[in-house]
Amino acid sequence: MNRKIRRLHRSMGAFIAIFVLMLASTGIALNHSDDLDLDKRYLSWNWLLQHYGVTQLKADVAYSLSSHTVSQFGSQVFLNSIPITQSSTPILGGIMLDELMVLATQDALLLFSQQGEFIERMDSTVGIPIMVQKIALLDNDVVIQTTNGFWHSDSTLENWQPLSTNEISWSESNVIPDAVDQQIQLYFYDRGISIERVILDLHNGHIFGRYGVWLTDFWGVFLIFISLSGLWMWGRRLV
Amino acid sequence: MAIMNSKKLHPMRLILGVLLFLIAFSVSARGVYQSNQDFLDETFEQVVPKSKVIWVKGDVRQTLSELLGHPYQGMRVRYWQQQAKSVWVLDEIGKTEAITFGIVIVANKIDSMKVLAFRESRGGEIRYPAFTQQFNGAQLQGQQLDRHIDGVSGATLSVRAMTSVAEVALYLDNIINQ
Repeated sequence: MNRKIRRLHRSMGAFIAIFVLMLASTGIALNHSDDLDLDKRYLSWNWLLQHYGVTQLKADVAYSLSSHTVSQFGSQVFLNSIPITQSSTPILGGIMLDELMVLATQDALLLFSQQGEFIERMDSTVGIPIMVQKIALLDNDVVIQTTNGFWHSDSTLENWQPLSTNEISWSESNVIPDAVDQQIQLYFYDRGISIERVILDLHNGHIFGRYGVWLTDFWGVFLIFISLSGLWMWGRRLV
Repeated sequence: MAIMNSKKLHPMRLILGVLLFLIAFSVSARGVYQSNQDFLDETFEQVVPKSKVIWVKGDVRQTLSELLGHPYQGMRVRYWQQQAKSVWVLDEIGKTEAITFGIVIVANKIDSMKVLAFRESRGGEIRYPAFTQQFNGAQLQGQQLDRHIDGVSGATLSVRAMTSVAEVALYLDNIINQ
């Protein structure tokens, strides 16, 4: 009996040595998380981000306006990588007008400074034609296409008149430049996953999902057995 | 007996019914009660004057920040004016969502104030006339309303937003009449 337990104790000890090493080292690291700034240091490996379900977001729409890029991710609207406003309705296009940036939505024009400061939302109460579909600039006039035809206004955006022409270069959705896209991804996902989070998940098994927790429990049972068998053998030796 | 039992109201059904009622009530609090255009048409009896703008810069921006408790989102505010009457349509966040208010000011006093759109899940009671009529006749005393506005249970933030917007509209009305 004694020999059997001793053999089992030895083989199980070797089996869980790796687990004990990982548990001990991650435990020590977590104990000194503040000293090591583990919660302020981040890992942004692609496979790790994917493992944590942090997948690459794609812009719903993106427009090139002069040297700038306006993009929309859900309700968040960006000028380059700067979040400038929320819009529950899709941005349908945009133009640069003198000192202004004008973005079109279905029911309003959103006005910004060229630095992205929000100025005003202009809707039908100030004469903007409703059911906007597209926006363009034509000879310093702003042109919009609505379900009721084409309309144009001077730079005040308050004097809309019907327009009959087809030679308009509309603001069309474009591909968002890689550099801008990478900066926007940082906005959503910060700098990645904190080292503290990864170590904590290694420590408690959560990094392997639901099965990881069961696996940790399994190792825990092994450790309990080894502890008890060790105590039993030690006790026998004393006797 | 079995038939009698089946007619009894089971406690779980009662709880479910109450929950459904509460959900339905809270959902009904959200919505656009009057479009901005309809509000203007009603206020100006279908002849809406051309809108004007006031730029939010310098001291005006500073004062709006103090009244609202946060920076004003936007660089200009649009209003409609006819003789001594000015009309403002302003948005302010209640808790997390914007509430749209329509404010009519006559001779530096609030003539009427309405909730045009309410998007929060709670606090929609501020739209009822019993509450909004507290603002009628209010004017600024310093940077605050000249009266206490009674709160509504469960709508503290919405009431605060409405009070701040009333003060903002009165302040801006003073500016355009200077």
